[in-house]
Amino acid sequence: MPGTVSRRDLLAQLGVTGAAALAGSAAGIGVAGIAHAQGKPKGAIPDKPFRIGHMTFFTGPGAVLGEPMYKGNLLAAEEINAKGGLLGKRKIEILKADEAAGTDANVKEMRRLKLSEKIDMFMGITSSGNTPALGPAAEELKLLTIFIDGCTDFLFDKAVPNPRYVFRVTNIQSADGSTCALAVAMTWPDVKKVAHIHPDYAYGRNAFDHFTIVCKKLLPGAQNVSEAWPKLFSTDFTSHITKTLAAKPDLLVTSVWGGDYVAFYKQALQHGLFDKMKVATTLALGVAPHAIGKDHPEGVLAGVHANYHFSYPPGNRWPINKTFVEKYHAKFNEYPNFQAEGAYTATHILKTAIEKANKLGGGWPDEDAIISQIEGMMIAGPGGYVYIRPDNHQGYKDAITGFSKNVPEYPFPILDPNRIITIPIRNITAPPGWPKGEPTSTYTWIDQTWPTAKRA
Amino acid sequence: MDILVIHAFNGLLYASVLFLIAGGLSLIYGVMRIVNLAHGNLFAFGAYVTAWTVGSVFAGVHPGLLYLLLPAGALAAAAVGAILEPTLLRPLYRRAEEYQLLATFGLLMILEDVMRFLWGPYPLSGSTLFEKAGSVSIGGSRYPTYNLLVIGIGGLAALFLWAFVYKTRFGVVLRATSQDMRRASALGVNVNRVYVEAFTIGCFMAGLAGAIVVPSQSAVLGMGVDALVLAFVVVVIGGLGSLEGALVGALIVGVVREIGISVFPEIELAVLYLIAVIVLLVRPAGLFGRAA
Repeated sequence: MPGTVSRRDLLAQLGVTGAAALAGSAAGIGVAGIAHAQGKPKGAIPDKPFRIGHMTFFTGPGAVLGEPMYKGNLLAAEEINAKGGLLGKRKIEILKADEAAGTDANVKEMRRLKLSEKIDMFMGITSSGNTPALGPAAEELKLLTIFIDGCTDFLFDKAVPNPRYVFRVTNIQSADGSTCALAVAMTWPDVKKVAHIHPDYAYGRNAFDHFTIVCKKLLPGAQNVSEAWPKLFSTDFTSHITKTLAAKPDLLVTSVWGGDYVAFYKQALQHGLFDKMKVATTLALGVAPHAIGKDHPEGVLAGVHANYHFSYPPGNRWPINKTFVEKYHAKFNEYPNFQAEGAYTATHILKTAIEKANKLGGGWPDEDAIISQIEGMMIAGPGGYVYIRPDNHQGYKDAITGFSKNVPEYPFPILDPNRIITIPIRNITAPPGWPKGEPTSTYTWIDQTWPTAKRA
Repeated sequence: MDILVIHAFNGLLYASVLFLIAGGLSLIYGVMRIVNLAHGNLFAFGAYVTAWTVGSVFAGVHPGLLYLLLPAGALAAAAVGAILEPTLLRPLYRRAEEYQLLATFGLLMILEDVMRFLWGPYPLSGSTLFEKAGSVSIGGSRYPTYNLLVIGIGGLAALFLWAFVYKTRFGVVLRATSQDMRRASALGVNVNRVYVEAFTIGCFMAGLAGAIVVPSQSAVLGMGVDALVLAFVVVVIGGLGSLEGALVGALIVGVVREIGISVFPEIELAVLYLIAVIVLLVRPAGLFGRAA
């Protein structure tokens, strides 16, 4: 690639949009909407319940992500059941399983659900440590599976490179670090010294790697000056904050999340960290939007896993989102996060695929017919369009991030509606056919094909 | 220079909390020869109760009064301990150790579920106390005042405990029971009573640790198991059953962890276990442990 591109041109090439633009473009693809009108199903449909095994964290600190995921699935299932069920006949029945049992036990439980409980489909999973083990197991069991999260690039890069039964709906993990870095390059181009605090496991490493590689391309003058790797689910960051302050960086990047992040920002406040540097996060407002207090500083790059925040698209601009948030809030008295949106959308992907397959063949479609309808599907979910790539079965939706802001309508900060940043997902993820790479295919793709910005 | 002072405070802060947790674990083992696997969850229970009291029940109360509610978690954990020892543990003393491990492990899981049932999956915060305390300036760097309070409480607890065990009549009885339960019993010591008191004090310490960390860290599911593992590292270093060992072990872990995070961030998780391995190789019973 020519080496003399400017940072601004490169950002423009990547389609990084700082205005409150509508997510996604769906040119040329027939888009299914969640409220898609459905004609009468063809043929005879059995009225046997459709059983979904939903495995996610119901106990332990991961429950902060697992509960909303389950609730998203539940809400969608109730909507569908209220109209008689799938194809108007088959009510959805959800069987819960706790992901906290550990990877080996989870694989056994998946087998049990399929063999003993005769589930028709498997859904859920939060941890990136579990999808690479459950993916191959689902393929072996020939069990239709939509993972909601567990978003590691490794799943479809290496563990299940040619998936048949396994899909995944929320954005691929590498998009998170890349989105964060692009937003930093756009907002704070003068950053020279970067400090990092990441939880020491797959997600933290992935965020660090992809932030760093994108930063190298867009802000080649910036340097990592401090790293700290606290244990996942630890809530004491005093020492990591001291270390970060001592390095005197311009910017702190952190992928700490959930209860860990709540503890982190409260401690950082008392250390005056936010006064001394910019702060960019990948998941600050992503996990439990309502768990962040109004004392959280404004103007922090507040990531939402590059997936979804309930406040965007705002108002009635994207009615699916408005209805979804209202229904979810009415039912659970909290606001949906990206897991809830993912599970809700995944359930509607299933419904849409079954309806389309029924239109083509009549009767209850077999698994192959459902799978071929999910492959390549584009559907409008609460967060925007999701596209399920046929080659790797990964869901892609435009990445989003923004800045924390307090508004009178909510007792917690939301994403500043005037400063939303969206990025077309195809511009920050490796395209189909790109050779598998280390640590991820997207990493090597960015490294080898993106030019380096030589000037502002 | 000021950074060095802050590093020292950080080390002491971590050591204070660890000492309370590990000290309780060690005290219970020292007297009763029971490894209480649910100890970490009593720490978590203390954290949840304080977060709930300070953050929800009395949220509107004047912050000055809120500080008086801080020990709520410690008292709650002590109350749970006072109920558990006679009901759950006492029937198991005559049985093999495996039964006690199984029973306390079961208790660990039950407590975890009870907390989730009572307070839900989301983090519970009692941060008013942490925020209202503000911060002090140490050579131009801000440092949370509340952290200094925690260090103070940790130090005071160590002092009280020492005075209690070595300067009171009850301490003599406690130590006698710990050294030879049968002989103490033959001399007229009411062993059942000593056991329930020791267990209650141990739980109180765990609950107090939970109560004092919650304003800065919030209560989250799973915090108990993490605390248990750390407490084991401390008692392995210091010697199971020894309060001095718990104190020295906690100080070593606090200081080494602080240095580890600054100098070798990549091995933060491993560094504590490395110390434990070295101590086990050199002194298998721990620094202050009695050889079996």
